[in-house]
Amino acid sequence: MVTKPHSALVVVGHGSTLNPDSSAPTHAHARTIRERGCFGEVVSCFWKEEPSMRDVLRTVDAEEVYVVPAFISEGYFTRTVIPRELRLEGRITRVGNKTVRYCDPVGSHPGMTEVILRRAREVAPQVREQEASLLIVGHGTDLNDNSARAAKEQAQWIAARTAYAAVLSTYMEEEPLISRWADLTETPHVIVVPFFIADGLHSYQDIPVLLGIESEPVDPASLRTVFRRNPYRIRGRELYYASAVGTEPLLADVILDQVDAFDRQHPA
Amino acid sequence: MRSPTLTDHLGEWLDEGRTRIGELLVLRRESGWRLLHHADREIPALSICTNPHDAIALARLDAEGKWRPLRSAPSLTRGWALDLPDLESVRLALEFLYPAALGNYAAFRSGALAAAPLREVLERQTGMYRVTRHLTDTQAGELVPVVCSSTGCCLKTILWSLNADQPVPSLPSSKSSPAIDQTGAPGPFIPLLCTEACPLLIGAVRDKVKGACR
Repeated sequence: MVTKPHSALVVVGHGSTLNPDSSAPTHAHARTIRERGCFGEVVSCFWKEEPSMRDVLRTVDAEEVYVVPAFISEGYFTRTVIPRELRLEGRITRVGNKTVRYCDPVGSHPGMTEVILRRAREVAPQVREQEASLLIVGHGTDLNDNSARAAKEQAQWIAARTAYAAVLSTYMEEEPLISRWADLTETPHVIVVPFFIADGLHSYQDIPVLLGIESEPVDPASLRTVFRRNPYRIRGRELYYASAVGTEPLLADVILDQVDAFDRQHPA
Repeated sequence: MRSPTLTDHLGEWLDEGRTRIGELLVLRRESGWRLLHHADREIPALSICTNPHDAIALARLDAEGKWRPLRSAPSLTRGWALDLPDLESVRLALEFLYPAALGNYAAFRSGALAAAPLREVLERQTGMYRVTRHLTDTQAGELVPVVCSSTGCCLKTILWSLNADQPVPSLPSSKSSPAIDQTGAPGPFIPLLCTEACPLLIGAVRDKVKGACR
């Protein structure tokens, strides 16, 4: 277990000016880690909410700071926005009187596979893997974003180590499209897990419409039960729709795993 | 000797009588501290919370249930009190209610708080916000005093200028004074300091520039 009583952990989330659920997972995982007491300080910061990345280093006392992006993949945010806003020049940067250690995003850690599997098993606990297809939904076509590749890798890893009849990576905006889920699968049960950090516009509004379980975009997840009405009996199948992988409590462990992975790659 | 922590600084400021921060009051009790909306000071029947993490939910929505993306908006709900055992938990709760306010004020008091001019912030925007660099001085003067208004929008004190040597046109001088409580209340307080344009302002700049292009 990571034990760093003299260091601070900064968890960076996207946040939103429109959606109250966007920052909730980042706050929740930071709280989990804070209450475990493995870091001297644990704080969150956001691109679209407060505290900003520009302000956050002033909120911690520790001289050594680990930064873990709560993002699903390497891409525009982890390579451009976060380094620019935190004034990072590499993996280890001296910023003012602090040494900042910049870790990989949670989504690229091998532990994410277990997070996806737990989400799938929670949403469809009675379903035998041999009778089910597991569909991971990514965004696809994002500017400078590797989320599509990350979803594809996860599908390959899960296919190799589970008994699901099929494991597919699907996308909102590129082939294979999640809207074609019924054509892509043959099993009586279909489990759909959104490969996103938060239950934002995509997971609670866009994907339910693409799946056919909602006819039009609905209210924010916190006000709705879209994730609690499983299974949906639709097109002759039983469809199970999970909330975003990033809301799984196990993600707190993946954040700490990324700190551990950083230390292994950059021994003191 | 160890350097003073933000918690140490918070204790000093409270000892100075700076018990107001934004719409909050921080009151010393027989055992511990109480945080509450300043307008609730005389209200006897408040809903009591006791975990600093409860502040996340307290800061989240306004009285009408609408999302508060800007925590410094003058829309903190009333009717609750957050009773906390020590200054560490007060500090944590304040980070949720007024994020980074303590760290910015500590840096300000030590002369180490740098603010980024609006032009510098707009110049470094990429992706869909790259267009914001085309904001004119006139547009800035029309937009900032409205979007950042202490009446109804944001209780922060703006420390940044338009350029390094040019203030934001039409911005009232009181909005840039850390000595003035933007709530309008008299007496000592911990100011909410704005070091650079926030996502809400940058979003409004984008709308303004794109609207002007149509």
